[in-house]
Amino acid sequence: MPNKQLAMVIDSSRCIDCKACMAACITANAVPVGCNRNWVKDAEPDLAKGAFRGHFQPGGCMHCDNPTCVAACPTGATFKSPEDGAVVIDRGLCIGCGNCIPACPYGARFRNPAIRKADKCDYCAARREQGLSPACVDTCPTKARVFGDLSDPDSEAARLLAENKGRLVRLVAAATDTKPNMYYLGVTEPRNWPVEPAPPTAMAAMTGLVDPLVKTAVALSGLGVLAMLGRQLFTKPTPPHDGHGHAPGDQTPGSGDADRPDNRS
Amino acid sequence: MRRIKRHDRSDILIHWFNAACWLALLVTGVGLVANPQLNPAGDAYPGAVRSLFGGGPALLAVHIGLGIVWMAGIVLYVAVNFRGAVFFLKEIFSVSPARDVMWMVKKMALMTVGAKPLVKAGLTPDLPDQGYYNMGQKAFAQASVLGGVVIVATGVVMSLSDMVIPASMVWMVGWSVTLHYLAVGLVFAGLLVHVYMAAISRDERPGFVSMFTGHVPEDYARHHHKLWLDGLTGDSGGHK
Repeated sequence: MPNKQLAMVIDSSRCIDCKACMAACITANAVPVGCNRNWVKDAEPDLAKGAFRGHFQPGGCMHCDNPTCVAACPTGATFKSPEDGAVVIDRGLCIGCGNCIPACPYGARFRNPAIRKADKCDYCAARREQGLSPACVDTCPTKARVFGDLSDPDSEAARLLAENKGRLVRLVAAATDTKPNMYYLGVTEPRNWPVEPAPPTAMAAMTGLVDPLVKTAVALSGLGVLAMLGRQLFTKPTPPHDGHGHAPGDQTPGSGDADRPDNRS
Repeated sequence: MRRIKRHDRSDILIHWFNAACWLALLVTGVGLVANPQLNPAGDAYPGAVRSLFGGGPALLAVHIGLGIVWMAGIVLYVAVNFRGAVFFLKEIFSVSPARDVMWMVKKMALMTVGAKPLVKAGLTPDLPDQGYYNMGQKAFAQASVLGGVVIVATGVVMSLSDMVIPASMVWMVGWSVTLHYLAVGLVFAGLLVHVYMAAISRDERPGFVSMFTGHVPEDYARHHHKLWLDGLTGDSGGHK
């Protein structure tokens, strides 16, 4: 378990869809044009049910406790931080395979076209190092987004969770609970948009087929070597062909080394 | 007893250069795989190697650097000894199915369970004559060459992924990871047998020594590579 567990608690009923959180994120993290690390989704008013108002739902990477993106990464470049529980990307280790992007049920990851590697929310790591909150949290005019350490009972996020037990919503895909660390207070809409994680065929083939094949081949080879070693240790040697006692200058039969092309390996 | 020249200095050099690069690339490369579903050397290995090299990004940089050195060395060898490279490729891909498959079956049996099962199966324990390489050497060399091509091609794709690969081609990077792992794994499986046969098996000791001296005793050559020796002495139509 991490020493801390950073999380975001969102009262989506406060969101007015101003999208200041998205603009602040782009500015703070130099997110390339056309890409976003966070979002505001909206639910259309359902007049037939007497719902005359729509609903806006801020979101972003959920920094899950069961992160399917981490499971899809072959190098461990994306991992859950042991210090604060955030799901982060080590850009120096990311090889840009893209496996993690479709493995996220929330579409929180994208390929940053400037660095050609995976990118996503890191709770504004650079700002946090300076003691600041994530840009989206700082800029929200209605304070719909609250950020904090759930392991600290005095944090506002932990207090909100404690006060709202029984009316917390976590958005998950129908068949995969990624245990997101993004909590919505009370009613939030839309709710059925997370999709099932879909790691690329290449990664599924690697874990499901190639890895067992390789390990079986190596194991069989190792067993073969052990069998040969056992036979060598416990049986008499066959007549040697070691040429001991012969002069080092002896030459090729026939016409000597000239018979053999110098290029033979 | 006469000794017969088997390897050029450049052949010996490229062999040990290749071996050193393989070892270094294997140690660093396995450390770059960090996923509980894979972790071929155990969950603790990636962290340990990364600490040794000053972190994952540094390990990746070292691995890529070693890969470039490896490729450059092989290119240099081909440039210096082109005829040798062609001879090597021609020899390892020249397979006589009837003779070589039977050799492989019999040799595997003799090395592990002995001659009795062969006799019971109605086969003699005598091995069919072999050329410059026996079928076991050919099989491993074929795997090394084909595997090497896959390893280099996929390694280049992965190394260039953040430089030239466009978004529409990202699938190539994902498949390169998988194929790199597959090729290294299968060649490594063969490498275990190769190292045993070369460095530990008493029968092949002169062959191992020849990878330092370049020469083998004549009786070893006659026993293990008769068709090659016959070709050299003009006794029959062996490999020349």
